[in-house]
Amino acid sequence: MLEVRDLVVRYRRGFLSAPGLAAVNSVSLTLPLGHTLGIVGESGSGKSSLLRAILRLVPVTSGAIRLNGQDFLSLKGPSLRVARHGIGVVAQNPFLSLSPRLTIAEILAEPMQAAGLAVNHRARAASLLAQCGLPAEFLTRRARELSGGQAQRVAIARALTLSPSLLVLDEPTSALDVSVQAQILNLLQDLKQDLGLSMLFVTHNLKVVAHISDSLLVMQRGEVVESGPTDQVMQAPTKAYTQELMGFGRHALRP
Amino acid sequence: MLEVRGLQVVINSDLQVVRKVDLSVPKGTIHGLIGESGCGKTMTGMAILGLLPKGAGLQAGTFTFEGTDLLSGAATLRGRRIALVSQDPAAALNPVLRVGRQMDDVLRTHSNVAKPARRAQAAALLAATGLPDPDRVLNAYPHQLSGGMQQRVVIAQALATGADFLIADEPTTALDVTVGAQVLALLRRLVAQRGLTILMITHDMDVVAEVCDRASVLYAGITVEEGPTEALLRAPRHPYTKALLAALPDARPKGQRLAALEGAIPPPRQIIQGCAFAPRCPMAMPVCATPPPRRTEGERFWLCHLEARDA
Ligand SMILES: Nc1ncnc2c1ncn2[C@@H]1O[C@H](COP(=O)(O)OP(=O)(O)OP(=O)(O)O)[C@@H](O)[C@H]1O
Ligand SMILES: Nc1ncnc2c1ncn2[C@@H]1O[C@H](COP(=O)(O)OP(=O)(O)O)[C@@H](O)[C@H]1O
Ligand code: SF4
Ligand SMILES: [Mg+2]
Ligand SMILES: [Mg+2]
Repeated sequence: MLEVRDLVVRYRRGFLSAPGLAAVNSVSLTLPLGHTLGIVGESGSGKSSLLRAILRLVPVTSGAIRLNGQDFLSLKGPSLRVARHGIGVVAQNPFLSLSPRLTIAEILAEPMQAAGLAVNHRARAASLLAQCGLPAEFLTRRARELSGGQAQRVAIARALTLSPSLLVLDEPTSALDVSVQAQILNLLQDLKQDLGLSMLFVTHNLKVVAHISDSLLVMQRGEVVESGPTDQVMQAPTKAYTQELMGFGRHALRP
Repeated sequence: MLEVRGLQVVINSDLQVVRKVDLSVPKGTIHGLIGESGCGKTMTGMAILGLLPKGAGLQAGTFTFEGTDLLSGAATLRGRRIALVSQDPAAALNPVLRVGRQMDDVLRTHSNVAKPARRAQAAALLAATGLPDPDRVLNAYPHQLSGGMQQRVVIAQALATGADFLIADEPTTALDVTVGAQVLALLRRLVAQRGLTILMITHDMDVVAEVCDRASVLYAGITVEEGPTEALLRAPRHPYTKALLAALPDARPKGQRLAALEGAIPPPRQIIQGCAFAPRCPMAMPVCATPPPRRTEGERFWLCHLEARDA
């Protein structure tokens, strides 16, 4: 269970950010265990900043984050490291996030070594790959030899190595073909069911997020402009911006 | 009007990157070129632009633009009337030169207008792409502009060449949905107002639905289906087109598994005997090991062994 209350992230001397505007401005959200929350919004609206704040990768100006009952913002040193194991991260471009020269076995063993996990690393790597739909042959392959979809499966497997309860995904399918995107969305659906994972899913594509999410949160200029159960937001969007996002691509098919 | 029949591009005499592309794009329309990554969309565009990489060999039954044979090496004509708008506007612009200087370079090589008039022409072209305050943009460096503004500058540059045919290769992929929608609206407007013709290369069905009059579906370098957008998206005939549409996240109710298309396109080195899609096709039959016939219906065609009524 993740709870965020009145979170504010203000970058110091932000060259890119509009002066005086917070990148994340008083955002609150609740993500129950096993649920998926989709976060949509245009570029610069603060989606990644919100994720980075939840991962404690940027300083939080004010507000509170509770993860599984713990006050996440007060954690330091080793206890922060352990708590972070509870969150797995998947980035947009699998090729940038995976070292091209390492074998898949090495890529998956890395977080286990760092955390001092006392299991057979290779066996665990193989079972993670299987869970993500790749045969064990892939253990000896290198990241640069993979297709986009295979690389994203490996990135998801790596995010799962330390058995997180929460998976944070920043545009996980935007670099992929629709055929491969469908495979990855199916995989995430399976993982959610089998492992009871909670997910935070960030994307520009409202249709992708609507398919996978239980609830939605629409951000604009650092603020939440609309939120609620997916069906409700999709069927009766109250904000023009949400309607614009939803209407796209329906021109030719409008009756 | 662009007419392409049986276009083939072979690199280093063994990589079949384009195997058999058919395209006909009437003047003043937007034509979509769809297909998975690696299926030959960009190479088809490069062949039309005359910008194929070294070692590439090109063959075609018909390859004409406005009646001029593109096979006869009329490269200057191509450079003048066909321009490229690529996926990454930042890479298309020179980072160390102001926009004004870059626009001027293009205008100077493509017209014999005097310098002061060129400045006004550049401003007018930027204004035509919907950029507010063109004078400020002329004085800016590319990095001072947002992605959407950069793409408008690239489009203005394409217009500055005097081109009336644009090849837009994934022009909105690097942009936000809302910004991308604005750029698409701009392209639509240029078609209506200036009689521009556009070949829109994309793997995004929403882009096709939004702006294309007609579209072709490429698979392994072969046009497997072509038709008016609405017919193609509402009632696809080729099993590959069907599979692409079925994989879209809004094709199934929320929470249900999507109809993911497994497998991958055959690599360009592979020799294809029968139907290229057969290994992944849910409808494949023994006869599919032989080349599929071309089927037509009104203004559309597709390549498949299935009878129209079964398709
Ligand atoms: N390290 C940083 N320093 C200063 N400002 C930043 C930094 N990172 C982001 N910003 C600013 O914070 C705001 C929110 O950015 P953020 O990256 O969270 O947006 P986003 O919604 O993820 O956008 P995108 O869809 O493009 O990924 C923007 O104005 C951005 O310029
Ligand atoms: N310069 C090149 N040399 C050799 N092969 C290439 C080159 N550029 C592209 N290819 C190959 O040609 C095929 C078609 O590529 P491309 O036209 O870029 O596809 P698309 O644009 O549909 O994604 C792919 O197999 C690709 O790997
Ligand atoms: S020819 Fe056969 S394999 Fe090819 S698309 Fe048609 S049914 Fe499928
Ligand atoms: Mg981001
Ligand atoms: Mg391409």
